[in-house]
Amino acid sequence: MLICNKKQGAEIDRWSGFSAVDRRGVLAGAAATMMAGCGVRRDPSALRLWAMSYEGDYSPHLMPAFTARTGIPVEVQSLPWTAAHEKLLTAFAGDALPDVMMLPNGWVGEFAMAGAIAPVAEREVADLFPGTADTVRWRGTPYAVPWSVAPQAQFFRRDRLDGPPAEDWDGWRAMGLRLKRRFPDSYAFLILLNWWDTLFTFAGQAGAALLRERDTRGNFATPEFRAALDFYVSLFRDRLAPAVLSTEVQDPVAAFAQGWFLVYPSGPSLLLDFKRRAAEIPAARWGVARMPGPTGPGAVSGVSGALAVARGTRRPEAARALVRHLTSARSELRFQQLIGNLPARASAWADAQMAAPVLAPFAAQLRQPARDPAVVEWERIRIEVQLIAERVVRGLLTVGVAVQEMDRRADLILAKRRALVQAGRLA
Amino acid sequence: MTRGERTAWLFTAPVLAIILLVFVLPTLVALGLSVTDYSIYALADWSNLGFVGLGNFADLLATPLFWRALGNTALFAALGVPMAIGASLAAALLLHDATVRWKPAWRVLLFAPYVTSVVATAVVWRFVLNTRFGLLNYVLGGLGIAPVDWLGDPRASIPAILLFVTWKIFGYNMIVFTAALSAVPQDLMEAARLDGAGRWARFRHVTLPAIGPTLLLAAVMSVAGFLQLFAEPYVMTMGGPAQSTVTVLYFMFDEGFRWWNLGQASAVAFVLFVLILAVTIVQTRIGRRYEWL
Amino acid sequence: MVVRPARALVMNAVAVLLTVATVAPLLWMVLVSFMPRGASSAFPPPLWPVRWTWENYHELLARREYDGVFFDYRIVPALLNSLFVAGVSTLLGLLLTVPAGYAFAKLRFRGRERLLQLLIASLVVPGQVAMLPLFLIFKELGLVNSYAGVILPSLAGIFAILFVRQATLSIPDEMLDAARLDGASEGRIFVSIVLPLLAPVTVTLALFMFLGSWNDFLWPLIVLADQHLYTLPVAVAAISREHAADGELMMAAAVVTTMPVLLLFLALQRYYMTGLLGGSVKG
Repeated sequence: MLICNKKQGAEIDRWSGFSAVDRRGVLAGAAATMMAGCGVRRDPSALRLWAMSYEGDYSPHLMPAFTARTGIPVEVQSLPWTAAHEKLLTAFAGDALPDVMMLPNGWVGEFAMAGAIAPVAEREVADLFPGTADTVRWRGTPYAVPWSVAPQAQFFRRDRLDGPPAEDWDGWRAMGLRLKRRFPDSYAFLILLNWWDTLFTFAGQAGAALLRERDTRGNFATPEFRAALDFYVSLFRDRLAPAVLSTEVQDPVAAFAQGWFLVYPSGPSLLLDFKRRAAEIPAARWGVARMPGPTGPGAVSGVSGALAVARGTRRPEAARALVRHLTSARSELRFQQLIGNLPARASAWADAQMAAPVLAPFAAQLRQPARDPAVVEWERIRIEVQLIAERVVRGLLTVGVAVQEMDRRADLILAKRRALVQAGRLA
Repeated sequence: MTRGERTAWLFTAPVLAIILLVFVLPTLVALGLSVTDYSIYALADWSNLGFVGLGNFADLLATPLFWRALGNTALFAALGVPMAIGASLAAALLLHDATVRWKPAWRVLLFAPYVTSVVATAVVWRFVLNTRFGLLNYVLGGLGIAPVDWLGDPRASIPAILLFVTWKIFGYNMIVFTAALSAVPQDLMEAARLDGAGRWARFRHVTLPAIGPTLLLAAVMSVAGFLQLFAEPYVMTMGGPAQSTVTVLYFMFDEGFRWWNLGQASAVAFVLFVLILAVTIVQTRIGRRYEWL
Repeated sequence: MVVRPARALVMNAVAVLLTVATVAPLLWMVLVSFMPRGASSAFPPPLWPVRWTWENYHELLARREYDGVFFDYRIVPALLNSLFVAGVSTLLGLLLTVPAGYAFAKLRFRGRERLLQLLIASLVVPGQVAMLPLFLIFKELGLVNSYAGVILPSLAGIFAILFVRQATLSIPDEMLDAARLDGASEGRIFVSIVLPLLAPVTVTLALFMFLGSWNDFLWPLIVLADQHLYTLPVAVAAISREHAADGELMMAAAVVTTMPVLLLFLALQRYYMTGLLGGSVKG
C-alpha cells in the first residue's frame, strides 16, 4: 500500500492486495513506534575511509597514530567484497563517496575514467617493486597508491603432504591424484567456483592475452587460455576439487583444519585466520608455496588494495595525508602483522619482520606483479568469464563452446568502448 | 472553487505531489533512459550519452543471461504460485475444519513468518538448508532421503528458495482464504450434504465457486509478486549456482546499480512491466470467462 | 458418524505438525543464537544449547575496545535508525493518505474520477521501473544518503489511498451532510466524524506501513551510502556477507532484526487478526 512496497519490493504488498487488509483493529501502540532516531551520529570533522574485508575491519588500528599527529579523526567503513563494486559506483553516482577509498588495482582505471578519483603525485608511487606502479596508472598517470598486497599462493597441509607441493601443472595434478588416493574422504584442492582468481592465475601463467584490438574485444579462444581453462576444469572433473561456491563453504578455515581439502589457493590474509585459530590448526600443520604455472611459478592474480582520494572530497590535503600515513612502510608493516597482507612499499621489505620463512613465497611473488587490462569493463568481463567457466565445470558447456561464449560476452560488454575508441573519443 | 473542493485539494494535493515526484516522473524518465546508452561513460561525461532507439531491447534479446533470468523467473512463478496458493488454501481448509481446536493460536503462529524481514530469515534459512549441518537435510535423513545440496546444486536452488518463500508468505493468503471460507453460504453446504454430495463434490461445487474471486485475486497478486522476486536470491545465493537463481529483477539490479548501464537496465524494467501487465490481463480474462470477477 | 473422533485426532495432529514445521526455523534461530560459537556446525544439528550463553549478543551489540580502538557492528544504531525511519514513514504516510482516501470517497472535485482511474491503473506498473531514475532525481535533490531519501518514496501510498477510500465509502453520506447543515467546517467533519470511524482501518494500515518500512531492503540498500544511516536489514546483510561463517552470531543478528516486529505483531494480533477475519475481505 505504500509505494515503497511497490517500489522496493517490500514484502507486505508484493504478496497482498489492499482489499484484503481489513478494517477492524484498535488504535493501540501505534504511537509507541515514534521515538527519536538518535543513532550514534557521524563526527563531521572526521575523514571518511571505505575499505573492504580485513583492511576495513583492521585499519582503525592504524588511525590513532594519524589522529595524534594531525588532530584529524578518521571514520572507517568496512564493505563486504561481494558488494563493494556496486556500493562504490552507486556512491559515486550519488555524490556520496568517502574522502579516501580502497580500490583493488583492477578498478583504478575504471574509477579514474569515471572521474571519481583524483590523480596522485608520481613520488607517492616511487618506493615500489618494479612494475607495481603500472597497476595503478590510467593514461600514464597514477591514480592510487598500492597499499595492501595480496597475491595468491597455495596453502597446504604439511602433515598430509609428503613435501612442499608441486609448482608446475603436471606435478600439481599428479600430486592431487596421489592425495585423493591416500585420503579418499578429502579433496585435494579447494577452488571456489564463484571466485575468479585461480582461473585467471592459470590464464596469466599460461601467457594468455585476454583482450585484443586495443582492448575492445575478448580474446579467450586462444590456445593459451584454452589450456588454462582445460587445466582448471580437469581439477573438478577428476574430483580433485569440489564444485562449490563461497556461499556453501561457510567456514573454509574450519574445513581446512578438519582436512576436508588439503591444498587451498588463497591470499596472505589467511595468515591472520590461521594465527587467530591456531587452536584448530597449529602452525606445524600448514605451509605456503607459490601457485603452480605450466612449467613453474609466474605472475599470479590476487586482489591487491590501493588507496585513492575522491575527486569530490572537500579536504584533499587531509585525505592525501591520510593516504601517505596508511601507505608508509611503518603502517604497512603493522598492517602485515595485523591482517597478513603484504606491504607494497619496497623499503618495508628490508625489515626483519618480512624475513619470516612463511613470507618467502610471497616475497618472490611480489617481484612478478600481474597486470590487468585497464578498461572499465574488466571487472565485469572477469565475472562473466568465471560464470561461464562455472558452467563448464558443471558439465553444462564444453570448453570449445565456452571460449566462444566468453568472447561473445566480452564483445557485447565492450561494445560501447569499441564505439568510443573507433570514434576517436577514447585512447 | 467550492468549500468542499478546496478541502479536497488540500487533502489530496500533498500525496499526489509525492506520487508525481517519486513514481510518475521517474517512470517517464525510465522510458526515456531505455532508448539511450546511458552507462558509466555517460556518468563520467554527459557528451558520451547517445540515442540508440530500440537498441537496448535488441541487445537484451541477444543476451543469454537475460533469457536465463526470464526462464528462471517463469519457473519461480510457475512452481511458486501453485505451491504458495496451495499451501495457503490447504492451511485455511485445515483451520476451517470444525474438529480443529485452538484455531486462533495456530493462525497467529502460521502467520508469524510473514511479518519477519527477508534478510534476517534468509540468514536463518541458509543454515536450515546447509548441506552438511542443516536442519532440513537432518529431517530428510530421518526419512531415509540422501542429503540434498540445496543451495549448491543448480537443480535444487530454485526449489530451495521457493521453500523459503512459501514458508514466509503462505500465512497471509491463509488468513484471506479463511475469511472467504467463513463466508461460504452454509445453507447451500447443508443442501449439498442432504443431496448426498461427497466431501470432494461439496468442495468442488459449493466451496470453490464461493471463494473463486478471492482465489483469483490472490493468484494475480502472487504472480506479480513472484515476477518481482529479488531479495531472496540476493541474500541467499547471489544469483548462483551457475546463475540458476538470477531473476529478471536481479538482472536489472545488476545491470543498473552494479554496472550502471541504466539504459539497458531501464529496458529490462520495461520488459518486466509488460510481462506483469500481460499476465494480469490474461488472468483477468480467465476470471471473467468463469464469471469470477 | 463413528469416524468423528479419529478424524478430529488426525486433523488436530496435522495442525500441530504444520505449526511446528512453520515455527521451527524461528525457534531454531533463537536457540542457536544462545549456543557457544561454533556449536551449531555439527552433525546431527544440535537442537538445544549444551550451554546457554549471551556471548553472541554481547559481541553483536556491545562496543568493545581493542588496543585503544573501538569496534562494534553498529547494530544498535541500525535498530534506532530502523525505528526512526519506520516510525516517521508510518506517521507521515497516515497523515498523507488517510485524508486523501477520504477525499476520493466523499468529497466532490473536478478530475476526481479521472485521477482515481489513473491511480488504479498505476498499480500495474512495477515500482522497480521508477527506481533507477529515482536515484538520479534524488541525487539532483541532494536526497541520496539521507533519511529523507529512504522515507520519501514510502509516502507515495497509492494502495493506502485506495484502501482508505474503500473503507470510507461505507460511511453514510447523510451523516456528513447533517454535519454540514449544522455548519461544521470540512476539516472539523473529517477530524470529529470521519477519523473516529476510520480508526480501526488506520491501525491496520499503520501496522502494514510499519512492517513494510521495517522490512524494506532494496531501496535503503541503494540509497544509503553511509553506515551511520543503515537500517537493520541493510546492516545485517552487510555483516552476513562477511561473517557467513559465524553462524551463532548471524542468528543473534536475525533475532534482533525479527523480534521487534514479531513482538509488535503479537501484541496487536488480537485486533489485527479479528479485523482481517471479521470484516468483508472478499476481493
